[in-house]
Amino acid sequence: MNHLERGMAALGNEEVDRLPAYPIACGINRKLLNGGNGVTYAEWCRDPKLFAESFIAGHKYFDFDFAIGLMDLSVLAGDLGANVRMDDENTPFVDKHIIHSPEDYEKLEVPDIKKGRTNVLVEGTKIFSEKLAGEVITAGFLEGPLLALTQTAGAERVFMDMFTDPSVVHKGMETMVEFDRQMVEAFGETGCNGLVWDYLWANYSCLGDSEYHEFEGQSKYAGMLNKLTTDSGMAFCVHNCSDLPHMDTQVTEFKPVIFSMAYYPLIPGSPTAGEVIDQGYADNCLLAGNIDPQMFIRATPEKISKVTEDLCQEVKTSLCKRGLNSRYCISSGCEVPPDIATKMENIKAVVDVTKENGKVDC
Amino acid sequence: MSKDEILNGLSEGVVLGKPDQAKSYAQRAIDEKVSPLDAINDGLVKGMSVVGDRYAAREVYLPQVLMSANTMYAGLDMLLPMIPTEDLADKKKVVIGVVEGDVHDIGKNIVKTMMTAGGLEVKDLGKDVPITTFIDTAESIKTNVVAMSTLMTPTMDGMKDVIDGLVESGYRSKAKVVIGGPPTSPDFAEEIGADHRDANAQDSVAWLKEALF
Repeated sequence: MNHLERGMAALGNEEVDRLPAYPIACGINRKLLNGGNGVTYAEWCRDPKLFAESFIAGHKYFDFDFAIGLMDLSVLAGDLGANVRMDDENTPFVDKHIIHSPEDYEKLEVPDIKKGRTNVLVEGTKIFSEKLAGEVITAGFLEGPLLALTQTAGAERVFMDMFTDPSVVHKGMETMVEFDRQMVEAFGETGCNGLVWDYLWANYSCLGDSEYHEFEGQSKYAGMLNKLTTDSGMAFCVHNCSDLPHMDTQVTEFKPVIFSMAYYPLIPGSPTAGEVIDQGYADNCLLAGNIDPQMFIRATPEKISKVTEDLCQEVKTSLCKRGLNSRYCISSGCEVPPDIATKMENIKAVVDVTKENGKVDC
Repeated sequence: MSKDEILNGLSEGVVLGKPDQAKSYAQRAIDEKVSPLDAINDGLVKGMSVVGDRYAAREVYLPQVLMSANTMYAGLDMLLPMIPTEDLADKKKVVIGVVEGDVHDIGKNIVKTMMTAGGLEVKDLGKDVPITTFIDTAESIKTNVVAMSTLMTPTMDGMKDVIDGLVESGYRSKAKVVIGGPPTSPDFAEEIGADHRDANAQDSVAWLKEALF
C-alpha cells in the first residue's frame, strides 16, 4: 500500500498492510531545510514557503503517512495583538496578553487573515497540500476558539471570568468563532484533505462537561465550526493533548474522522491506547497517539523503538479484540518538540518500527 | 456572632468562591478577636481543603478552584498581619515559581494555593523566573523547599540549572526540591537531582508535609 491507500483504508477500518505512522513532526522538520543546515523557528513560522517546504522535506525524509500543518498555539493570539515571544530554535509563546478588564473582551477584533502568521499558516498549507496531493493525506491545523481566547486573554483570567462574568467570555468567544470561521473558509480553499482542530480545554483537569459545553462545545461555537469544516470539503479532525480529554463529547458527539490524543501514565484515569479502543472510541473514528513527546528528546533510539513496538502490540491486541481491522495511527501524543535537541533518529525510529511491527493480523 | 459562625462563614466563602464573603467574615473574626490562626486554619484553609478534595474527585473544575483560591487569599491578606510574629517562627517556607522562559502559571498557582492551605509559608516568585532569583531567594529567606514548574519542554533544563546553582551555593542540602508540570516526570526529577515530582497539587503537598515535619 502507498501512504494514501493506507491512510484511507485506516480511516475506513479496512485491512491495512500495517498501521499508519505519523509522529506529529512539524516545526522540527525545519532542520531538514537549507541543505540540512536548517532554518530558525522564527524564519520557518513567518514564511509560507519555508513552512511548506519543511513538511514536504519531512514527508520525504521520514516517510510519514500524513502531513498536518501544525505551527504553534500563539498564531491567532499574536495576530490579535498579544505579544509573542519568538524563539529562534523553539516554540514561541504569548508572554503579554491583551485582555485586562471585562471591557477588553468587547474590543477584540478579527484581524486581516491575509496578513500575519495566520496567512503563513493558510498559504503554507496550500503549498504543501498541492505538492503532496495524491501522495499522502494532508490537513491544516487550527486553534479552537476557546484556546485562541485563553492564549489572547490568559487562561486564568478567562477561567475566573467564566465564574464571575460569563457574558464577557461569551463576547470574546463570538469574536474568536468569527476568526475561526474565516480561517476555515480560507483552509477550505487550500486543497488540504482535512482540518485538525485543537480543542485543548475539553479536558477534565480544567473544565467539566457543562462548562466546556457552555464555553466551546455548544452548537453555535464548536458545533458550527465542525460542520463548516465538513461543508468546506475537509475531513473534520480533532487533536487534544490534554491529560483527561472529554472523549464522549469530542469523539462520540463531535464525530471527527481522526482524534489524536496523549497518554499520561501518572494521571489516574488517563486512558491508554488499548483502553480507548476497548471502550469503542475507534469504532467510528481513527484514533492516533500516544508516544510521550519527551522521548523524542530524552530517549535513546533503542528505548523509543521499544516503546513503539509495545504500542503497536497493545493497539493490535485491542483492535483484534474489538473486531476492528485498523483505525489507529501510531503517533506522538502531542507535537514532537521543535527543539534543537530533538533527535531526528527517534522520529525515524517510530516510523521504521511501525513498518516492522504494525501489521494487524488477528 | 459566635466563633463557629465566623469560621463557617469563612469556610463557606472559600467553597463558594465569594471573596466579599471571606473578607466580611475575616473582618468579623478580627472584630470579635477570634484567633487569626484559628480563622485561617479552621475557616479559610478548611474551605480550600474541601475544594481541593472536590477538584481531585472531578466534582469541581479550574474556574471554581481559581475563584476559591482567590477568595482564600482575600481572607489571608486580612488575617495574616494579625498573627503575632512569634507564632509564625516555626512555619516551613517554600519558594515557588515558573522557570525562566515560561509564562504558564496556572498549575503553579494551584500548587501554591494548596501549599498555603497546607500550612506552608509560600514565597511566590511568579513566572519566567531567572535561575539566580530562585537561588538568591532560597538563601535569603532560608527556605525549606524550592518548588519549580514548567509547561514547556525547552525550559525543563532550567530546573536542572537551578538545582546545580543550589549545589554550587551550598544550599541544596538545606532544602527539598520539588518539580511539576506536564513534561516532567519522576525519572526526570531523579535525573536532575530533584527530590520529588508529583502528578497533582494535593499529593505534592502531602509528600512535602511528610518530608518536612
